[in-house]
This record gives sequence, C-alpha cells and structure tokens, in this order.
Amino acid sequence: MPDLLVVEKLRQVFGGRNQTFAVDDVSFRIPAEPTIVSLVGESGSGKSTIARIILGLLKPTAGRVLYDGADIFSPGREWNRKFRSEVQAVFQDPYSVYNPVYRAERVLKLVIRKFRLAKTKAEAQALMDEALRAVDLRPEEVLDRHPHQLSGGQRQRLMLARVYLMRPRFIVADEPVSMIDAGMRASFLNILLDFRDRHGISTLFITHDLSTAMYLGGEIIVLYQGRIMEQGATQSVMKAPMHPYAQLLISSIPTPDPRQRWEEDLSAAPLAEIGEIGEVGAFGAASASNRGRCLFANRCPQVMDRCWRARPALQAPYEADKSAAEREVACYLYD
Amino acid sequence: MTALLEIRGLSAGLQGRRSVTQVVSEVDLDVEAGEILGVVGESGCGKSTLATAIMRLLTPPQVLQSGSINLRLRDGKSVDLLALSDTALRQLRWRHFSYIPQGSMNSLNPVLRVGRQMMDTLIQHGLSSDEALARSLEALELVNLEPKLLESYPHELSGGMRQRVIIAAAVSLQPALIVADELTTALDVVTQRQILQELAGIRDELGATIILITHDMGVVAQIADRVAVMYAGKIAELGTVNDIFEAPRHPYSQGLIGSIPRESGQRVEGLPGEAPSPWNYPAGCRFHPRCPKIFEPCSEQAPLLLAQEPDRWTSCHLYDAEVAADA
Repeated sequence: MPDLLVVEKLRQVFGGRNQTFAVDDVSFRIPAEPTIVSLVGESGSGKSTIARIILGLLKPTAGRVLYDGADIFSPGREWNRKFRSEVQAVFQDPYSVYNPVYRAERVLKLVIRKFRLAKTKAEAQALMDEALRAVDLRPEEVLDRHPHQLSGGQRQRLMLARVYLMRPRFIVADEPVSMIDAGMRASFLNILLDFRDRHGISTLFITHDLSTAMYLGGEIIVLYQGRIMEQGATQSVMKAPMHPYAQLLISSIPTPDPRQRWEEDLSAAPLAEIGEIGEVGAFGAASASNRGRCLFANRCPQVMDRCWRARPALQAPYEADKSAAEREVACYLYD
Repeated sequence: MTALLEIRGLSAGLQGRRSVTQVVSEVDLDVEAGEILGVVGESGCGKSTLATAIMRLLTPPQVLQSGSINLRLRDGKSVDLLALSDTALRQLRWRHFSYIPQGSMNSLNPVLRVGRQMMDTLIQHGLSSDEALARSLEALELVNLEPKLLESYPHELSGGMRQRVIIAAAVSLQPALIVADELTTALDVVTQRQILQELAGIRDELGATIILITHDMGVVAQIADRVAVMYAGKIAELGTVNDIFEAPRHPYSQGLIGSIPRESGQRVEGLPGEAPSPWNYPAGCRFHPRCPKIFEPCSEQAPLLLAQEPDRWTSCHLYDAEVAADA
C-alpha cells in the first residue's frame, strides 16, 4: 500500500528580486495507517504554505506531493473527484467559511447533494444527525441557526461534522483550535483522536501551539523558516528535543502548571540571539543570500563555524541512542 | 494593609435602545500592591469590559452602571477613579496607572518615528523634551530594547519589538498599576516568554502592580501570583495561582483547569455546553445550566463571592455553609 502522503523536496519561492524561500526543500511522509502528524512552527515558518500546497490550492515552485501514490496535480475529473472527496480541510477561522446568509444546515446539505450521499430526505436527515452526534453537537441547537448565532467552538465542530459526512481518509487542519476557547479545545482535539481510532482518518495538524500537538501525540515536524529542523515521535521530541531551535521552542511553552515555571530568565538575553534583530519586513526567512547555511545559526547558542558555511541535512542523528529512534535532525551537532 | 486597588460593586453593560444589557455584574476585587493578578475566562466572559471599566475607558455603547474603584496614590490618599473629572483623571493616567489594550502593538502611528511617539506622550504630561528623552531611554532599557530604536519606524520592527515599545511607553512614567489585556496573544512562544519575563522584571524593579487579562491558562500559571476566574460577567473564583491550579473549587474553574490538554495519551474532557452571552445570562448562578454539581438553590439564588479562607474566594453555593445547610 502506498504512503498516504509523500511530500518531496517541496519549495515555494515568493517575490521577484528579493526572493523569499517560504518553503525550502521540505520532504516528509505520512504512512497509510491512520495517524496524526503535527506540523509546528512560529509565524512565517511556512506551515500554512505547505498546507495550501498539499490541498492543491497552490502550485509549488519545485517538488511534488503524492497522495495515495499519485501526484495531487494529476489531470482528470476522476482524480479530482477522488482527491476532493478523500482529502478535507479545516481552517483557522471557523466564521469565514460560512456564508452568513444561509442557515448552518446548508454546509451539510450541500455536501450530501454534491456527493450524492443520500437518496431520500429522510436518509439525508439521518446522515446529518449521525454526523452531528459524532462531533458532540445537538441537531436542534445548530441546524436552524445562522453562523453568527453559533459560538466559535460550535462552528468549528460543525466543520468537522461536514468532514465526517465525507468520510475522508485525510484531514488537513490549519490552526483549527486557535480561535476556540480553552474549555472547548479538548473536545475538538478528542474528535480528531476519535476520527483516527474509530474511523481510520489521518490528520495533518498544523499549529503554533505546541501544547495541543503534545496532546495529540503521533508524529511531530518542527519547522523553522521554511525548513524542517527536527522530526520524530511527538512524545520523544517533546521530552528531549535535540535541535537547539526545538529546545528553545519547547522550553518556552507556558506550561499550565505554576510549579513548573520557566527556569532560565530570557529577558536579559540580547535580542539578536533570540532572533529579533529587526530584519526589515521579512521574518528572516531564507533568501538567496542566507540559504547556504543553517538558518538558526544567528540565534544558536551552540553555533559552530561550519553552520555558517553549509546547510545541515535532515538526517538520523549520529550514534543515536534508543530514545531518539526514528528521529531526524538538521543540525551539525549530531552529524 | 489596604489594597492598591479596591473595586466594589462594579457593573457595566451595553446600552441598547430601551435598556442596558449588563455584561459585568457586581465585581468586588482587591488588588494588592506589587502583585501580578491574572484575570482568566473564555471569550465573551467580560474580562476586557472589566479592564476597560477599571481604566474608565468604556466607549459607547458600553456604559458604566454602578460601583467604585479606589486607587491608592503614592501620597497615601485614595481616589475613586469613577468619581473623578476627566481632567483630573488625565493627570493620573500614565503616572499612576497605565493600560495596554489588546492589539495595541498595531496602534503605533506608521508615519512617525518610535521615539517621537513615545516622547510626545511624555511631553503632554508636562515633561521637558530632555526629560522625555531620558525617560524614554530608561523605559526602553527595561524591555531590553536598544536606544537606537527611537529612530526607527514601526514597520521596521517585529511584532515582539512593537509590543515592547508599547510596554515601554506604558511604564515610562512609572505607574503603580498596569492593566494589560492579551499582551502576548499574537506573539510566538519564544517572544511571549521573553516579554512575560520582562514584565515580571518591571514589577520587581518598579514595584508596579500588574493586572494581566488573558485566555491562556499557561501564561497565568507561569507569571501570576493570584488568579481571578471570570464566568459570564462575574468572578467565579479568586485565589493564589497554586490553589487555583491544584485545587480549584468552583465547578467552572474545575472544568476549565481539567480541560487543559497536557500529556498525550491522557484524555481530558472539554467543558460541555456553551457560555451564555450577556443577553441570556441565566438566573441564579450563571453557571448552573452547565454545572455537574447543581443542587436546589443554584437555579434561583445567585451565589455571592465569599471568602472560605484568607485569600480564597469562591462564588458557589457548595461553599456557602448557610445555603448548603438549608438545602
């Protein structure tokens, strides 16, 4: 069975004269077995660009994406139909995807009609009820309402109900919980876990919030300025990150436990070291001039000469100990 | 010792055509000098309305309904912010209290240099331009920014740096009280950590008191001394950060703390139901329709925020000996 998703040497370049490499040779794969992969990074790390490419909304400058063994930009209606029904998206803002004029039930009814999921009205109603139950919504609470009458959490879960109707194999969720309240977040994440465990649906979960990635488990890919810095099993990466960037990122998570406060005081660190050197306009993403080095070199406390000279490849760490099994790191410290 | 800030019976709402819809109801709160108080709650719970009401910056259709807010000044005298004239209030602003609203890092004027914007405010407050420059430089140092930044335009700075400029401006006249609303929400975790640590440094160095409004329980756990949990316009529970996180008492706080995603493999449940909007706050305890521990008085009688121990306040009938005994 081919991998569910293979991303090969993806590159996305924006701009004319001052080129920005928003995604710079990113490769990863998601296996055929149901799984959740989290793609984490700060703003400007290229995570949303990768999501848009995978969804077929953006053609990459170079590289390719295979879904179920075939290029996602394959021609043909048949392929399009398969890809559009098996791959579903959930976006950040659960409000902007609704047409404010129509009642909420329309997002479900349209899907049922377009993909001919039901033959009769009663069948359609039964499908909708089942989908809503799967995401912990009561039909009478949401179906007759207009989008503005629903809370963010309800809107986002209604999107999941729509996804559920489609019975996709794969969900691409781009920052789906950032606009949902804390109390509701766990419910949303639990639905994704249920989708995986009960219905065999895989998810690519894109987020800047590492604590949600930790909760979901599975695999994690840490992006920095369009490049993968480290990847591996979420739990082991979170517990013992290897790349200095991943270490900084993970140690900065505000742990919701007053007895586990940040130890080191970063407030005295020179801003240049933590990346705030006011590079005009850009977030300091890769450009033609700095591509040939480790992009974290200017912030790295353990920087070496060679970090400035060539880009470290993403590879299994040398003499990896068992806790770092199947880990890959783009850092010369482990070369 | 009296508190730096004493809020009593503060209610604020939204003016409709015929009536006022109450958003924040009867808030009583003491804020001690030198503490960092975290105010947490879900969106729409009234925490930003509370902040703007404290700062007396409500704008129509928001209206203040009742209450008093006593701020202790440096000379030991106390003033009721809600009773002051606008002119008198303007003299206190920035010198005695400052407000950092949500999204304020985007409020810098794009066509003026940062230094000019910082100094203008100080000059407005009666400083000479030399004094204003000196104060601005001191303030920048507090937030780890270099003096040359005064020459920059806002677009040349990253989000974290703009947020620091705003913080620097807010503390440049060394106010005793700083109210910050969602200070680090739009920032990356590394920058967030730095700015929060700088804020704690400002508290230590200037002895300032900070009220930090946020929806992020992690942020509160990291830097707050005490926490006020808000639900539907009222304070549900108030206590030290350790008490709130380790042994929350109000069923709402219990649900909120219990729903924080932590380790993988350890499932937590979200809070069932939806928070009510001000147009349909339930009668009695406002949490009762969602409460797993509901009993008789809850749907009729609103609980009061009562102290069970020093520094431990809960607004729930379960902890009100008299009501619990009757039921």
